[in-house]
Amino acid sequence: MPTDKKITKEDTWKSDDLRRHIRGGGHDEDSSRRRDDERRHRTGESVERRHRDPEREARREREKNRERDGTRERTKPRDTDKDRHQDRRKDGSRDRMGEKEERDKERSREQERVIKGTENVKYRNGDRDSRDKIHDREEKENRERVKARERDTERTRERERDELRKSDRDKEKEKNKERETGERDRERRSDRDRKINEERVEGGRDRDREHDREKRDRHKEREYLKESERYKDRSQKDKERKERHTDKEHSGQKEDREYREQHRKKKEESERRHKEREQHDTGESRRHDGESREVERERVHRERKGSDREREGKRDKHRERKHREEAGPERDPTERTSTKKSSSSDLRVHKNKTEPVKTKVEIAEAPAEDHGYGEAQDYEEDFEDYEEDFEDVDDCEGEDEKQTHSHEEREEREEISSKRREEIEAIQRAMDEENERVGSAQPRLSTEEDDRPKRSRDSETPQDKVSQHGRFMDFVAAKHREVSKKVASKQKKRSTELLRLIDLDYSITFSLLDLPPVNEYDMYIKNFGTANTKQAYVQCNEDNTDRDIQTEEIEMSEKWTQHPAERNVGCGGPKLSHEASDESVTKLSVDSQRLATFLRSASQVVAVLLEEGMAEKQSLKKLRTQADTLSFSDGCLQLNTKLPFLCGRQISLVQFSQVQRQTMLSVHSPSAKPSAVRLDSKTIICIWNIWEPSRPQKILVYESEVHCCCFSPGKATLVFAGTSVGSVVLWDLREHASAHYTLRIGENDWTLRHPTFSTDAVLAASGHMSSVSSVEAVPATVAEGLMPELPLLASDEESSGLSFQLASLDGNGFLNLWVVLELPKANEAGSHTDLGLRPGGKVKLLHSSTVLTTSDRSSTRDAKKTTLLQTLLLKFLPSDSNHFFIGTNMGLVNHGTSHGLKAPPKFYRPQVVGFRPVDVTSINFSPFGEPIFLVGCGDGSVRLHTVLSEQPLMEWTSSTAGQPVVSVQWAQTRPTVFCVLDAASYLHIWDLLEKDFEPVITEKIDADMVTAMAVFGDPAKQNTYSGISLATQSGKIEMQYFSKRFTVPESADLEKLQIMMQEAF
Amino acid sequence: MERADTGGNTYLIRPSYHHKFKAAVVKECIRDILREQLSGVQYDPDEVGVLSRSLADCIKDKLKDVGFDRYKLVVQVVIGEQRGEGVKMAARCFWDSDTDSYAQDIFMNVSILSSSLLRGIVIF
Repeated sequence: MPTDKKITKEDTWKSDDLRRHIRGGGHDEDSSRRRDDERRHRTGESVERRHRDPEREARREREKNRERDGTRERTKPRDTDKDRHQDRRKDGSRDRMGEKEERDKERSREQERVIKGTENVKYRNGDRDSRDKIHDREEKENRERVKARERDTERTRERERDELRKSDRDKEKEKNKERETGERDRERRSDRDRKINEERVEGGRDRDREHDREKRDRHKEREYLKESERYKDRSQKDKERKERHTDKEHSGQKEDREYREQHRKKKEESERRHKEREQHDTGESRRHDGESREVERERVHRERKGSDREREGKRDKHRERKHREEAGPERDPTERTSTKKSSSSDLRVHKNKTEPVKTKVEIAEAPAEDHGYGEAQDYEEDFEDYEEDFEDVDDCEGEDEKQTHSHEEREEREEISSKRREEIEAIQRAMDEENERVGSAQPRLSTEEDDRPKRSRDSETPQDKVSQHGRFMDFVAAKHREVSKKVASKQKKRSTELLRLIDLDYSITFSLLDLPPVNEYDMYIKNFGTANTKQAYVQCNEDNTDRDIQTEEIEMSEKWTQHPAERNVGCGGPKLSHEASDESVTKLSVDSQRLATFLRSASQVVAVLLEEGMAEKQSLKKLRTQADTLSFSDGCLQLNTKLPFLCGRQISLVQFSQVQRQTMLSVHSPSAKPSAVRLDSKTIICIWNIWEPSRPQKILVYESEVHCCCFSPGKATLVFAGTSVGSVVLWDLREHASAHYTLRIGENDWTLRHPTFSTDAVLAASGHMSSVSSVEAVPATVAEGLMPELPLLASDEESSGLSFQLASLDGNGFLNLWVVLELPKANEAGSHTDLGLRPGGKVKLLHSSTVLTTSDRSSTRDAKKTTLLQTLLLKFLPSDSNHFFIGTNMGLVNHGTSHGLKAPPKFYRPQVVGFRPVDVTSINFSPFGEPIFLVGCGDGSVRLHTVLSEQPLMEWTSSTAGQPVVSVQWAQTRPTVFCVLDAASYLHIWDLLEKDFEPVITEKIDADMVTAMAVFGDPAKQNTYSGISLATQSGKIEMQYFSKRFTVPESADLEKLQIMMQEAF
Repeated sequence: MERADTGGNTYLIRPSYHHKFKAAVVKECIRDILREQLSGVQYDPDEVGVLSRSLADCIKDKLKDVGFDRYKLVVQVVIGEQRGEGVKMAARCFWDSDTDSYAQDIFMNVSILSSSLLRGIVIF
């Protein structure tokens, strides 16, 4: 291909050269044709060719279409340009214009070359100073570019030189034989085209060649465009002008001018070439600025190709720009300038520095441009001066050239080429065609190629700048560019490296929003569904709420309690009212008191009952056993006297209560022997219940010996005792056990009761001066008659209140009467007035009167004897308490009365007359209300007296065998039966109904000496029992129940007694 | 970034863990902004353009402070009127799904339907 290329290039260049040469003389010949061509050219692009060859025209049109498709701008402006050209030509310079147009192309191509040479410029300077100056600047600024162009031109020149050297045009002709031959006229050209086609048809090689040629042509054209652009862009002032030039040339005037210029240039070039040829060896360095680009043709060729390629892009741009600029005047002058500026600024930084100058030019030109197309024309008119000049030249054709340049050589050349001009033109047209064809195709690629030309331009510009302007500017810009280049390359490298590492993928399609369409009804409801509704609420009866609690609330209150209760208050609480607490307290206290009393009594009853039941069984057994010994006995019961404090004590007295017949007291005299208990010196009186034989109910203690003892009349609540020291003491059995000293002996507690009241030392003045021999309670005064109910009455009285008298008799005959008083309230602290009263005691004795019983009688009757008389016993008549009977030591029983009453027998004496000293040991009245009594005497005699007579009814002197009688007692159930105990422990039982001269039964109580005896019994109809209790010296007490014979009363008993009493009177 | 690259090649092809795109955080941001600015807004075709642009800017500005260093944030805000029509939106990306991610949130009130999509793409 290189050969082809060379050839084609050579062709092209040759054609240029040819044209240049041809222009010299070939103008005139083809001027008319050219005009037509140009006209065609104006309307279309290369109408001439169409004319010439329909085929070509078609092809052309195709190309045009292509061009129009890709670069409509380009065609349009051209059209407009051509229109303008037409206008211009109408002016009258059509011929010239045609030539100019041709020349224009040539010139534009050649301009580069022309510009290179300063000489050329100088020539031009000679013509137009301003232009030349501009050219100078241009040259300076674009030296680089120019160099590139120079390369081309050099090449061409070299070629030309070579050619010229060889054979100038002949050689060229030879090289381009085919074309030259074919292109001499249009026919030929068409032939050539045909040939080309044929060649194409013949082989791809020719076609390629043609293509190359076309390309090259295109390149050239592009170069030309580029160059013109460069003139515009880079050589600012010049450029503008040049642009305008080019514009104008394209629009006609420009072409004219350019034609002229080129014409000139051609001439100049031809000259220059000549010169260059001459200078070639010497002065090339100047053109190249030290660059050795003209080294070899081959190399230059290559370079040129590269630069051509680069320029293609530029050209495209240039084309665009040109169009823009061409259209500019029509559009907006400011825009045009702005586009210029922008383009210039885009492309070159350093342009700014040259701008001031440029702006000046712009300003100068602006007014013309501002007026749009017409103004553009005006503007063009500026150049018309030149053009006119050229027109003149054109008119004169060769003459002008001659005038301007007057170069002989050139003329010659032109003359020579004038013949071939047509051929050359044909060639040129073909090239244009091809160029246009390529140009139309290129715009498509232009976008792709945009960068490259820019870059190339960028890379070129700094060099240019460096060469043209101050070096410092260019360095900075160059540095920037270099850096940016580096960065870009680095980034590119990096991106390529990184892209391998990164996996890009199409991620899953994310559904951002999926909102299903709402159907009509829903939409309606949504919008209007709630339109007529209103939400409102109201609450009434706000406080009507129920509240429930499942669990009951706990009631709480504080309470206190104390046991045992103090001050009648056992419990209480702070919150309770006082009344309530009082109630409860009183209730409690009442209850407790009641309970206590109830328990006290009840316990006693229960105890008795238990004791009775036990005792009965035991006694029955014992009776059986003892039945042998005691003939009268129906049974026997032994009281438990084996208590530690009773051991070894002699029982001096046993006595039963008159009312409570089961109650018995036993007086235990103090023992001589020391015992474990410290009660030796004291007398102990035990109160027994005969049905409760296991233990004594109460134990009474007194300090000295007790001689006599008796129960209170009525209920056995009081016990009176007369002591050996002359005092009368009293025990109140009702007192509570807690009030007395409790002695613990063994396992049992014994409450030892001290006397409630004692006359010891208290009533000393009125008391007894000697030991009290007898104490007897004065029965309640029953005025008249002996009533069997008397004891009952007395008991009634007692129950109502203690109001009775007590009589005590001492050995000297003094009889004291005491009134028994019960205090309403006990005083625990003791009393100041009642000194004998024990603290807490309620019963006391008041001295009533003292009666001396013995003195009267002794004085009156027997003074001597009375001195010796001792009063030993005191008994009151049960039916009348005013009569009392006192036993004396003279065997007599005195009968005294209180209150001064006198009774007939003063004394009762035995049947034997005379006084003899014998003690009356016992007096006992019949319990059945008969006024008879028994008297036992120390001489063993027993007398039965009636109250009314001095003499005894009966007297038994020897019944006891001389043994003193200890005690005589009537049986309680039979009036005619009585018992006599003598000192020899013989018990004689008399039954007057059976025998009135001797005892019925005389029993000897063996084991022990009986010291005391008491008869007991209950005359009640049912459950009649009677017995005798015998107290022995050792301290035993035996209860002997009489057999039925002595207990069951008989009707004859009382009759017997009455008979006996009647017998005595 | 370019400076660093020119100084010495860094071949960090994924962001550090702390600076990784956290869709939850971003979504929260978007939600806040949308709620803030769109609550009670009626659809007005004239204003919506400006509104969506301002929303996008707002979101972007806010998320720039969050610190997704190497991410390029692309915010897309679509505001539409809610008239009952069905709407379907989808997005597709060509990216490195290890590092790049997106967050989106939707705001709806009576008259406005707004969808905001934010894509974070790692810049190398």
